[in-house]
Amino acid sequence: MEIDSDVPMQDASEEPLDPTLDEDSPEFQTQANPGSSGIADHKSSKPLELTASNIGQLDQWIEHLGKCQILSEEDVSRLCKMAVDVLQFEENVQPVHVPVTICGDVHGQFHDLIELFKIGGPCPDTNYLFMGDYVDRGYYSVETVSYLVAMKVRYPKRITILRGNHESRQITQVYGFYDECLRKYGSANVWKMFTDLFDYFPITALVDNKVFCLHGGLSPMIETIDQVRELNRIQEVPHEGPMCDLLWSDPDDRGGWGISPRGAGFTFGQDISEQFNHTNDLSLIARAHQLVMEGYAWSHQQSVVTIFSAPNYCYRCGNQAAIMEVDENHNRQFLQYDPSMRPGEPTVSRKTPDYFL
Amino acid sequence: MNTAVQQTDYDALSCKVSAISKHYLPCPRQIEECGFRDYSGIQMEYIRVLRMLSRRAYGKISRAVSSTMPVMNYGTYLRTVSIDLSIEEFMRKHQDEETQILNLGSGSDLRMIQLLARFPKTTYIDLDFQESVKLKAKVLRNSDQFVNFFQLNSSEGEEINTDRYKLLTADLKDVPRVLELLSRIASKKVPTLILTECVLCYIPQAESQQLIDSVAEYFTHGKWVSYDPIGGNKVNDRFGTIMQDNLRESRHLEMPTLMIYNSPESYALRLKNISHNIHIQIMWDYYMNEVSDEEKNRLKALQFLDEIEELEIMLSHYILLEATW
Repeated sequence: MEIDSDVPMQDASEEPLDPTLDEDSPEFQTQANPGSSGIADHKSSKPLELTASNIGQLDQWIEHLGKCQILSEEDVSRLCKMAVDVLQFEENVQPVHVPVTICGDVHGQFHDLIELFKIGGPCPDTNYLFMGDYVDRGYYSVETVSYLVAMKVRYPKRITILRGNHESRQITQVYGFYDECLRKYGSANVWKMFTDLFDYFPITALVDNKVFCLHGGLSPMIETIDQVRELNRIQEVPHEGPMCDLLWSDPDDRGGWGISPRGAGFTFGQDISEQFNHTNDLSLIARAHQLVMEGYAWSHQQSVVTIFSAPNYCYRCGNQAAIMEVDENHNRQFLQYDPSMRPGEPTVSRKTPDYFL
Repeated sequence: MNTAVQQTDYDALSCKVSAISKHYLPCPRQIEECGFRDYSGIQMEYIRVLRMLSRRAYGKISRAVSSTMPVMNYGTYLRTVSIDLSIEEFMRKHQDEETQILNLGSGSDLRMIQLLARFPKTTYIDLDFQESVKLKAKVLRNSDQFVNFFQLNSSEGEEINTDRYKLLTADLKDVPRVLELLSRIASKKVPTLILTECVLCYIPQAESQQLIDSVAEYFTHGKWVSYDPIGGNKVNDRFGTIMQDNLRESRHLEMPTLMIYNSPESYALRLKNISHNIHIQIMWDYYMNEVSDEEKNRLKALQFLDEIEELEIMLSHYILLEATW
């Protein structure tokens, strides 16, 4: 440690570290009111129609984003406005048909998302269903979510993107997406646009009426899929209630409902899963949300599967990732993969993953 | 290499400041059982003076604090509290006796203030690299609060050497030098607690073993408290090798024994020459078993801990060792 009393360099930049601690520092300061980005100010009354010029623009963005380069703020705004006019017409329980490849958390690990498309086959040739958590933790949340949203607008019938608990104003302020937007764009505008857009993401999907897909898990306030259809989802993820639970809950070895160690949602046992699947004539609940070392994990005697698609999560956990292919005959196959090499990326520019040192 | 190791003090300090600013620390047990007073005030006074003296150090810490994840706050909380309670147990056992505390690789740790205030018969020794000692001494000497507390009579001096508090330079890899220093300032007969908090992991195997054996042998009665990462020994556990790669690539920081002492059992072998009473616990088990439900609920209310599985992975690769002789 050197003592420099006067270091005129970026290294010496002082950010606020209040030496007098706030007695009551609120963990979450909502820095924007929902809707303040204006991306949903002029919603269309009918779904976006793709025109030749739209398609040209989207293809150009996708190519640009595919190289892990961010769009301009103006283009993000245009993209989000188009996406609102796609997503607002999707349902709380978005119907999806087989064949489809179901994916879990990505968390800003852009290069691993590209690897995922290599393993699973390129979109739109392969249909994809992503179960949320595109942002936070990894270093490329902006590129990742921009890319997936652009794909969604370009191929709305080929790719489904659900909302995860990280697609939220509050969580992204703690776990990195907010800071990344500030760093890459110099203001919170892009963060406001995307978090406003997240309110429109569908919260669950139903694959051929048999596989119920969502980010977290079940809610004690939801017994039937029709009850999910009745929710008003166009809002910030609430702290409690059915919509919160769907994005936060976890299956557990203990039966019944339990208190979640996460502070939101619940844990649910095999009895709950089996009852829900029986009531709704389902064969499976597919969900993401939890890091599993093999990339996928069965629970509740194969009533529930967890899929996690961020290999070596946070660049330090050492886990494999997986995706689940469901074919025309509802056969399921898991494809596992490891972190992609990141060619050309200078390692020095990467922030070291956190450790206790 | 020494610089890379020294820099880890910024990490430890910013983690602690973050855990304090989010109210993980101090916890009820630190206040009630360890009798800590003005815990955050002392830490913030240190940061306030550091800001005046080294804007570079302050900038690094400030930036790190602003981006600390809940997982890190949990881990820092457990690390800090488990060590504090282990020290407290030693102090209570030797309540009316003279005691010594030797913090090897102390960095910016401020435990000595709480302990010296409460235990008048205790002498406290902080040893670290010259640069770390220089900075810490400078901060302490430039604060009225600390000057009064330690009764420092000069604002000059790269070390501190009062009757009860010694902040001295030593490269811990130079074991003869450490022993020579101890022979001048530490009594062999006085029960001594030795603390190595994320220190042994940076020292090569032979030197670290020599350090442990020689220092422990020097003191007739003692307790060694060590907190360190372990690489993991389970099949398909890649945490340790990834950690080594990450830290080597981005910070040139080496952890030469991470995969040698990769399990609690193998880590405990480091103390086998000096103690038959070794207790070692994985931090995840510590969290599950030693933290009350009430306290877990308090922590849960501080921040959403979304990443419980990640916390388990992290905490399963850190241990607290306690060995007495």
